[in-house]
Amino acid sequence: MENHETQISKPKSRLIFLSTDHKTIGILYGFTGLLFLLLGFSIMMLMRWQLAFPGQPIPFIGSWFGQDRAPGGIMLPEFYNQLGAMHGTIMVFLGVVPIVVGAFGNYLVPLQIGAPDMAFPKLNLMSYWLYVLGGLCALSSFFMPGGAAQSGWTSYPPLADIATTGQTFWLIAIIFLALSSMLNSINIITTIVQLRAKGMTFMRLPFFVWAQFITGFLLLLAFPALEAASVLQLMDRLAGTSFFLPSGLVVSGQPLSVSGGGSPLLWQHLFWFLAHPEVYVLILPAMGIVAEILANNTRKPLWGYRSMVYATIFLGFMSFIVWAHHMFLTGMGTIISGFFQATTMIISIPSVVILLALLISLWGGSIRFTTPMLFALAFLPMFGIGGLTGLPLGLTISDIPLHDTYYVIGHFHYIVAPGTVFAIFGGIYYWFPKLTGRKMNDVLGRIHFAGSLVFMNGVFFPMFILGLAGVSRRLWDGGAQYQFAQHVLHWHEFMSISAWLLAVFQIPFIVNLFWSIRKGKKVRENYWDATTLEWAASSPPPHGNFFPLPEVYRSPYEYSVPGYAEDFLPQNQFFGEGLKIKEKG
Amino acid sequence: MQMNIPYSIETRPDTGLHNAKLGIWLFLASEVMLFGALFSSYALLRVGAESWPRGADILNVPLGAVNTIILIVSSITMVRSWTSLLKKDFKKFRLLLSTTELLGVLFLVIKFTEYRMKFEHGLYPSGSTFLAIYFTMTGLHALHLLGGIVVNAYHLILGKRQWNLNPEKFTHRIEATGLYWHFVDLIWIILFPLLYLT
Amino acid sequence: MSLKAFHIFFISLSSLLSFGVAAWTIFLKNDALLGIVFIILAFFLIVYGVRFLVQQKNVSFL
Repeated sequence: MENHETQISKPKSRLIFLSTDHKTIGILYGFTGLLFLLLGFSIMMLMRWQLAFPGQPIPFIGSWFGQDRAPGGIMLPEFYNQLGAMHGTIMVFLGVVPIVVGAFGNYLVPLQIGAPDMAFPKLNLMSYWLYVLGGLCALSSFFMPGGAAQSGWTSYPPLADIATTGQTFWLIAIIFLALSSMLNSINIITTIVQLRAKGMTFMRLPFFVWAQFITGFLLLLAFPALEAASVLQLMDRLAGTSFFLPSGLVVSGQPLSVSGGGSPLLWQHLFWFLAHPEVYVLILPAMGIVAEILANNTRKPLWGYRSMVYATIFLGFMSFIVWAHHMFLTGMGTIISGFFQATTMIISIPSVVILLALLISLWGGSIRFTTPMLFALAFLPMFGIGGLTGLPLGLTISDIPLHDTYYVIGHFHYIVAPGTVFAIFGGIYYWFPKLTGRKMNDVLGRIHFAGSLVFMNGVFFPMFILGLAGVSRRLWDGGAQYQFAQHVLHWHEFMSISAWLLAVFQIPFIVNLFWSIRKGKKVRENYWDATTLEWAASSPPPHGNFFPLPEVYRSPYEYSVPGYAEDFLPQNQFFGEGLKIKEKG
Repeated sequence: MQMNIPYSIETRPDTGLHNAKLGIWLFLASEVMLFGALFSSYALLRVGAESWPRGADILNVPLGAVNTIILIVSSITMVRSWTSLLKKDFKKFRLLLSTTELLGVLFLVIKFTEYRMKFEHGLYPSGSTFLAIYFTMTGLHALHLLGGIVVNAYHLILGKRQWNLNPEKFTHRIEATGLYWHFVDLIWIILFPLLYLT
Repeated sequence: MSLKAFHIFFISLSSLLSFGVAAWTIFLKNDALLGIVFIILAFFLIVYGVRFLVQQKNVSFL
């Protein structure tokens, strides 16, 4: 047992696709996730053509989709629905969550707590491959007769129950993804509890690790609900049961020959029991990334670290009892609605605590405007807009007119796109020197940032205008068939052009990423003068990370400590007898 | 040479756990949520149904009762195989784990006999919501038990080598498997009265 | 929680279930045979549980 500290060990397999090293798996997760992110974005750009110019043939690539999807290059409504469902599924389940939890969590958590690897390296590899399998399952559904799943990323029955074969593949994909994220979250929680370095108490964990810890619990406990729901819907589709099919259903004029007696609402409850905590799975690790970048680039400790930690824990608990605010339109009854309105208003408090603590952390800091810092700074107001526009959706009276409109799309995209995705970009720029020993180009980074910020807002802000005008979010023609929508429809064109320009401004990022891996400027190991443990390892860290394992003497963000020569005091740096806090036991 | 993960065998002093024990309990927590979702669905569907049949009128109570006894006994042999490992008695461990295996297989055989009897009478999952939830929940439970049987078979076949290599780690593995086995049995203890008796 | 603790929990629950099943078969079904089997099972489980606790005194609950 003692020898793990001294011997430099080699990974068992030389194939990176079979490596059990948490860093390799993290990078695999990252690239796969980014690929899915790009795919989901491309799907969205196609949909934006249809919304801006309904009924016109798609230029250049219109003939690629074949007669049964887009005859003459004009997108069929069925194909639009498939794209819509797959955009949501890919972005949430295959893109953002695998990146923030699978990639950032896998790579950074063991490094930041001073562990040699994850607690269960083989399970880690298995969770990656289950994720890939789920992804392939979801994508293969495009080639099924009748096309991919087309009942939205929420797959509401009874429509989803009687949809084409693609839906079955969607369900199987979800079961794979549920297993994958269960293994991943078991791994992350166990690693954080068990493998913390000597002296790394819970209150000395970097905020990012805390965010991952709570996220792990959310994934662990919420995903089984959707897994169960998927099993039930699979039974409905394959074994002819009617869990979600009510009695007396008529499809195309024909009564459906099922036993009936099911409840479509049951699916919505099970689905949102997952999907609301999933929202926090999307945002908490992003907040963690932003907290790391902010503390480092303001050169001062995070303001209110403890209150942020307690707020995160509270947020985790509350996120399990707010799910039905997605279902106010179903007419569950005023008492249930009342309860969920109250919990929804309560859960906004810890979110505000975290956001405000991050904002106040800027106060009096000597801010360095590095590329990752720009993304982190942009995250704050963007997440703020997303959060504040969510409040009217938490109250029945304002939710009912707004719920089926573009307003909702604007609200959650502000949280996920300029929120989480900006944090992902910032995190990539920030930790790139650790992954490769080189830094990414700053000029390209700034071009990427400026373009992304402007055009993200160009895409999503007009959605509030459309939404308040009452334009439905589910229409294939973007609302062109309605008289009342005519005076705002010109915004669709604006949004679509913004989306395509947003894509153009991702090119500098992609070029920068691949160019910097080989040709980027070489930098020293602790490039950002950071205090957390990942910067104590070499760049890139070897298999086993630390030799010997580090010992921790203080809290994570000791910047500008009076009496210390440098403006940063790493967690593992021994300094002054008084600063070394006695270990228990 | 593989890297050693700290606390994969020995207990971490400040948490009082080794990795596998925390891992398996987290896994069981997730499983509780999975079956919890199904039990909630059962409650919601039953409350919303116009009429709900009595399980005893459709299902074979004596067979279910025999299966219940089989699973209770199997969990006793499972825990005994673990305690005999604690006493360093590998022979007794093997005997008891084989018994557990046999009982598990017997349970599945009886379960599938029950299924076949239902199918012969034309009772399929599509027949009614009660049958649907019965087949789904017991089917999922049977799948879990099958998983446990596979893991135990692995321990039976490859156990000797691991026992000689690292007895402490092997004992931990048997304990984790035993916890899972108990959980699966516990689900049946709830399923049996819920589906067969009410 | 170790397997010992979980086993005790499981055995307690099983004996409760056995009493329940026995009551159900005797009072609702008038099936004396099954009822007696489950009463015997319940008492067996209680005796077994106590013996298990005594025998495995030095195994940790944690």
